[in-house]
Amino acid sequence: MGFDLAFAVSSVPTILGAVGTTLGVALVSCIGAAAIGFLFEMMRRVGGVVGLTTGFVIDFIRSTPVLAWLYFLYFALPFYGIRLGSMTVGVMGLSLYYSGYLAEVFKAGIDAIPKGQSEAARALSLNRRDAVIYVIAPQMLRNIVAPLGNYFVSILKATPYLAVLAVPEMLGRAFDIASETYRYTEPLVVAGLIFLVLALVISHGVKRLERRLLAVGAR
Amino acid sequence: MSTQLDAIVDIQGLNKWFGALHVLNDVDLTVASGTRIVVCGPSGSGKSTLIRCINGLESYQKGTLRLAGTALGLNARETAAARRQTGMVFQSFNLFPHLTVLTNCTLALRRVAGCSRGEAEDIAMAHLEKVRIPEKARSYPGQLSGGQQQRVAIARALCLNPRIMLFDEPTSALDPEMIKEVLDVMVALARDGMTMICVTHEMGFAREVADQVVFMDGGCILDRAPVRDFFGPSGHPRSRLFLETILTH
Repeated sequence: MGFDLAFAVSSVPTILGAVGTTLGVALVSCIGAAAIGFLFEMMRRVGGVVGLTTGFVIDFIRSTPVLAWLYFLYFALPFYGIRLGSMTVGVMGLSLYYSGYLAEVFKAGIDAIPKGQSEAARALSLNRRDAVIYVIAPQMLRNIVAPLGNYFVSILKATPYLAVLAVPEMLGRAFDIASETYRYTEPLVVAGLIFLVLALVISHGVKRLERRLLAVGAR
Repeated sequence: MSTQLDAIVDIQGLNKWFGALHVLNDVDLTVASGTRIVVCGPSGSGKSTLIRCINGLESYQKGTLRLAGTALGLNARETAAARRQTGMVFQSFNLFPHLTVLTNCTLALRRVAGCSRGEAEDIAMAHLEKVRIPEKARSYPGQLSGGQQQRVAIARALCLNPRIMLFDEPTSALDPEMIKEVLDVMVALARDGMTMICVTHEMGFAREVADQVVFMDGGCILDRAPVRDFFGPSGHPRSRLFLETILTH
């Protein structure tokens, strides 16, 4: 059974039809994961009980399979009266799962900032919030563009997990075609290639962003 | 121990430990408004820690430290208000590398003093002119020499109109040919009547502007003398020994 190019091409429109869902889920999950991850890291830095608890939560999230989170949110929560749509669960699951990893990325980015920077902010009487917004976060961002971009690509590539919740994303769509036609090679290759193109575009964008950020105020 | 009424800094029996290390040992120091104090001593003597305590960058375990009449560390809001009376210049400049020279200077004016953008930029430019570097306002710190960066750091610290300036070895990280431009700015500041505490080994600077020299070793203030006496033959034996080592090499 060879590769039927014509059949592959004919499957492209159907699979591409789901690219919006895939990108949308990925984008919202990236924003969610970054927001929750940053919040986690800020809470971990508070120290004390809050810091220890947050540290444990981060480790817990990172040590559990993403599918466990998706299944839990989708199938277990309704028993506690919380019923969420599959798209919502998908975005929540990916956001939560990757927030644990992004917290670690933020940690590394902040640790790499010389201690004198936050001391200067304190000496200038900036409060904690302003010090984070105007001094720490911009420099952290510059330190972590590359790993952050890698995780955004990872989140994109994790969207097929949502097939288990019947979210109509690209790989699920490809698999639907395969199930109907019993031809697996072509739709899966097409879906893989589209993921490849998306990942390359994101990586390229991240590299350009990194170059631009590093050019500003080059040390 | 008498407490001067016009003292901007009044330290009594200050003690600080880093773990088992006793870095400040019963330090007493009063600084009257308008005076200039140079603190010197071998490395590890506690002099940097002392001035970092004065603006609350370091905490301490025992004693009292009053800054502009406020006992530090008792009340967060009062401590913050007192710190606003200080300007600090660091050995490693600590300019914000992602912000222009001008924004480095205006950040605290806008976020802390609540100035409008225009007001903040006017004040910042006035101080950048004072340190003779207004033409670099739009540059980033990474594009400046060390001496220029330190002058910007001084301007940045002056922007909030502090009553006392704290200098933590401001010229120690500089190449020799850049030390003078920074010291010149500091001398001009002293001539303007700014109250200053300066940790430095620049004895020429001490001779030129200091009212008093404080010599520290092992976390203690061993000697505190008017500048003439400090360099004179009647100085404390330990500080004489120190002076000989740093002046003869």
